[in-house]
Amino acid sequence: MISAFNLEKTYYDDGVETQALRNITFEIKEGEFVAIMGPSGSGKSTLLHILSFMDRQSGGSYAFSGEDINDFSDADLAHIRNSEMGFVFQSFNLLSRSTVYENVEMPLLYNHSILRGKRKEMVERAVFAVGLPEKLYVEAGKLSGGQKQRVAIARALVNNPNVIFADEPTGNLDSHSGAQVMEILEQLNQSGHTIILVTHETYTAEFADRIIKLLDGEIDSDIRVERKRRTKEDFFK
Amino acid sequence: MRFRDSMRTAVAGLRHAKVRSFLTMLGIVIGIASVILIMSIGSSAQKYIVGQVESFGSNLISVQPGAPINGTPASVQGIIIKTLTDRDVEALRNEPSVLSVAPMVRGQARIIFENHDTSVVWQASSADIFNIINLEFANGYPFSESDVKSYNHVVILGSKLASDLFEDRNPVGKYVRLKDMNFRVVGVLKSKGAGIFSMDQVAILPLTVGQKQLLGIDYYQELAIQAADTYDVSFTKGRITSVLRANHRITNPSKDDFEVRSQEEALKLLGNITSVLTIFLSAIAAISLVVGGIGIMNIMLVSVIERTREIGLRKALGATSSDILQQFLWEAILLTFVGGVAGIAIGAFFVALLYFIMPLFLSVGWVFSLPISAILLAVGVSTLTGVVFGLYPARQASKKSPIEALRYE
Repeated sequence: MISAFNLEKTYYDDGVETQALRNITFEIKEGEFVAIMGPSGSGKSTLLHILSFMDRQSGGSYAFSGEDINDFSDADLAHIRNSEMGFVFQSFNLLSRSTVYENVEMPLLYNHSILRGKRKEMVERAVFAVGLPEKLYVEAGKLSGGQKQRVAIARALVNNPNVIFADEPTGNLDSHSGAQVMEILEQLNQSGHTIILVTHETYTAEFADRIIKLLDGEIDSDIRVERKRRTKEDFFK
Repeated sequence: MRFRDSMRTAVAGLRHAKVRSFLTMLGIVIGIASVILIMSIGSSAQKYIVGQVESFGSNLISVQPGAPINGTPASVQGIIIKTLTDRDVEALRNEPSVLSVAPMVRGQARIIFENHDTSVVWQASSADIFNIINLEFANGYPFSESDVKSYNHVVILGSKLASDLFEDRNPVGKYVRLKDMNFRVVGVLKSKGAGIFSMDQVAILPLTVGQKQLLGIDYYQELAIQAADTYDVSFTKGRITSVLRANHRITNPSKDDFEVRSQEEALKLLGNITSVLTIFLSAIAAISLVVGGIGIMNIMLVSVIERTREIGLRKALGATSSDILQQFLWEAILLTFVGGVAGIAIGAFFVALLYFIMPLFLSVGWVFSLPISAILLAVGVSTLTGVVFGLYPARQASKKSPIEALRYE
């Protein structure tokens, strides 16, 4: 599904060159739960941005579903991002004065193939999946941190994407809410969604069945781990 | 993004910042209300003037002595020209396309009744004048041609002059003094409203009295002519010109010593004056629209900066640059459109207010006029303001990279 070969990313700032990523090569198959780990500045968020088309690589190649993304325009990439990908951010990125419904509906607004009547059904299903049906018409700003992240997950899965990118999804949450969020992501993975998770927390990464560790912009290790059925208690350890 | 969703998103964006949206709109509201008000006043003034001129009759032709200099008749400039005489009046009365001719002279004097004393512009004319300029009587009757021939000291008063001198009393049959002579009031005119063509403040005397006794002259200052119904006004005008040229032995038209003007020309001239005035005032009002537009651009730019993360989020979730551009452009257009509609409503309210207030303070029969062209222009201009001043901020928003926008603190 995702195939990266010798990916590189170089930033230029006031003539100073910074190489954020180099020699990144891996493949991610459909249905995998991959955690990208590494210390701050290791390039994990940069890699996530490239994989999710929000940024372009400086070198190497990246194919999504077998197609080189360099062949696509920005508008094409926006369309693929809309129909094939879901996003969960550390800081939730909800529109606080809009309702849960309006927030979750947002990706569907940019998909012309979904009719208005169908949209409502999809939003309700996604909000139900994260356990917040009673909050459907509540302003997002009035929710707790955990609830906000669950709304963000509902928004990520509303268009039934193949892959969900989660950037430090538990970073702003207490351990209880963090556990709930990771459980939802685990369930989504079990129902067939590919999950690509960026985290610096080992216990969060252990929900994945593959951990790619980055160090100074390079892959330090890429290991498969046996996924255990975790309980909330494990999470709190 | 579908049009309906674009609009919904734009409405939500404005709804979430109600006070700011309202304040941003205010510039446009004031600008549009001013344009509506000024265009309406211009149109009302035009209709009012046209109404007054037309009330004198549509087939009225006026002859003034002296060649036109820069469009203004010499007599109006205070130059005394003695070229219009009895011979001209007689010749014109024999012209088949002319129904009637009323020679006129004017002067200024004090008019006195008991202890009431006021300055008045008097007109002296033949009895035909009452038919030619459609004068109607509130009281009494017009003087006759025999009054004119007999030098009878009778006078017709304008309605305002009558009430100034006689208050609530009936002036008919009473005597007023004018230039140390007594005049018996035989009639009072119906009011035609205030304005430059008002007859409310005049005193009308028999021609002979005014010309020979008060002024001591043997020429006329104006000839008011009514064209015969069966003839075209412009034809009659041409005939009058020919008759007068023949009488004055003029062979070169550039040496005309008189000016013939029809009602239509007078209306055209007045129309031009009020139109230029309206355009000038509207242009001033339009400046406030530009200021309002710049206000919108300014606030939209602030809004784009404030909502940078929202833009990043929308792009991350699949919005294209064109979707973002549309969203912000619609917000600006909605602001100006709603502002425009509110401006029209407020402008119309003041127009209605004027309709009731003007007659109270200015004794003017004001005409209510809210031209559809003003409304369409206002909506068009305000919406265009939204497009012009909203485009730059919208483009700024659409060009943002999703990653940089999401990282924005």
